[in-house]
Amino acid sequence: MANLLWLQGGACSGNTMSFLNAEEPSACDLVTDFGINILWHPSLGVELGDNLQKLLRDCVSGAIALDIFVFEGTVVNAPNGTGEWNRFAGRPMKQWVKELSAAAGYTVAIGDCATWGGIPATAPNPSDSQGLQFLKRAQGGFLGAGYKSKAGLPVINVPGCPAHPDWISQIVVAVATGRGGDLALDDLQRPKTFFQSFTQTGCTRNMHFAYKVSATEFGQRKGCLFYDLGCRGPMTHSPCNRILWNRQSSKTRAGMPCMGCTEPEFPFFDLAPGTVFKTQTVMGVPKDLPKGVDKKGYIALTGAAKNAAPKWAEEDLFVV
Amino acid sequence: MHSDQEQKLREKIGRMLADGLQTQTEPFPENDTQFGQLLTQLRDIDAKDLKAKLVLSGFTNSPYGEDRMRCQECMYYLVHRKWCDLPELALPVEPDWWCRLWRI
Ligand code: SF4
Ligand code: SF4
Ligand code: SF4
Repeated sequence: MANLLWLQGGACSGNTMSFLNAEEPSACDLVTDFGINILWHPSLGVELGDNLQKLLRDCVSGAIALDIFVFEGTVVNAPNGTGEWNRFAGRPMKQWVKELSAAAGYTVAIGDCATWGGIPATAPNPSDSQGLQFLKRAQGGFLGAGYKSKAGLPVINVPGCPAHPDWISQIVVAVATGRGGDLALDDLQRPKTFFQSFTQTGCTRNMHFAYKVSATEFGQRKGCLFYDLGCRGPMTHSPCNRILWNRQSSKTRAGMPCMGCTEPEFPFFDLAPGTVFKTQTVMGVPKDLPKGVDKKGYIALTGAAKNAAPKWAEEDLFVV
Repeated sequence: MHSDQEQKLREKIGRMLADGLQTQTEPFPENDTQFGQLLTQLRDIDAKDLKAKLVLSGFTNSPYGEDRMRCQECMYYLVHRKWCDLPELALPVEPDWWCRLWRI
């Protein structure tokens, strides 16, 4: 039996919604099949008021073993570092986070807000928000770069806006069943099993990417969304086209560009007007090129690919 | 549009350019904001006004600039159909033509 506590800081509840939609395994499977005891969760917890405060204090003191501490949302520091803008169970949430992280076997940050600060920490960051162990790409965050949970791991980051339901539940199961030590994490402390490959890995538009055929409108079935509509699939680490959403599809499969939501810079370009869903170019060449490709290589590749493109690449493959 | 109609229109555009139609090849949209502004201006043009489209988008009938930019390598160019697939233009073209909405 592993005890799990889930709290929510500066957030929209998107990751809670996502978690409740998990299928493999589902939130119920966590309890019935994997022996996870959900001590409290914003949408599932039954304790209120004094009872909840007591439960939290018992977790801090060790009277209740806190095996897994899951945090969703940013750590809010405003105003003036007090954290009073986000009070919870009688005190600023940031104080609970500090004490609970120190007591936790594993600390897991779910979603962009908890990992890197996400949308709330976008300039000018009025709530003075931080992620648990990062602020955007800079390591440190609220808990500091040296933080390790009792199991000896840093915060396990499961980013996304929101994170995919199964990324959440599978990581929780791994940790709860004693396999936390087997998790390989990347430089940004994301489990490599999910975040080593790119959004583009498995995208149905890869052929159009290869032959440089552009989709120029949302939902268009022909073409790749990189060239015109700002798809960040080739630069974003996520398994969105391997572990499908609703077990059905993905943004890019449906004709909607990947916005790079698992990377610390999301939302990119601080949401400046004209930067969303539009490939940013400098003199006609995309500003952000596929990971590992330089401008010279890109131009050479494009010329060759255009010359080699077969006729079918210009036609609609997915005829109803 | 049938391919013979497309070919007729391609030839017509070719003749207009060969006859010396002066088009606005400069300034090249340096970033996406400028690119977007050009698209907005293009959308305001009457869809049937071919000449105005060609002038505003800076059509040339030969590769352009030091880098010899041309439709052939442009992202909007459909090689087999010889077609510019940018919705604001949507015109038959030749691979060695160019316009200032070029992107790679
Ligand atoms: S649509 Fe996006 S993810 Fe898919 S092939 Fe194109 S760039 Fe890659
Ligand atoms: S496709 Fe991109 S933006 Fe969408 S969920 Fe995946 S990583 Fe995030
Ligand atoms: S946008 Fe211009 S350069 Fe590109 S294919 Fe169309 S006409 Fe040619």
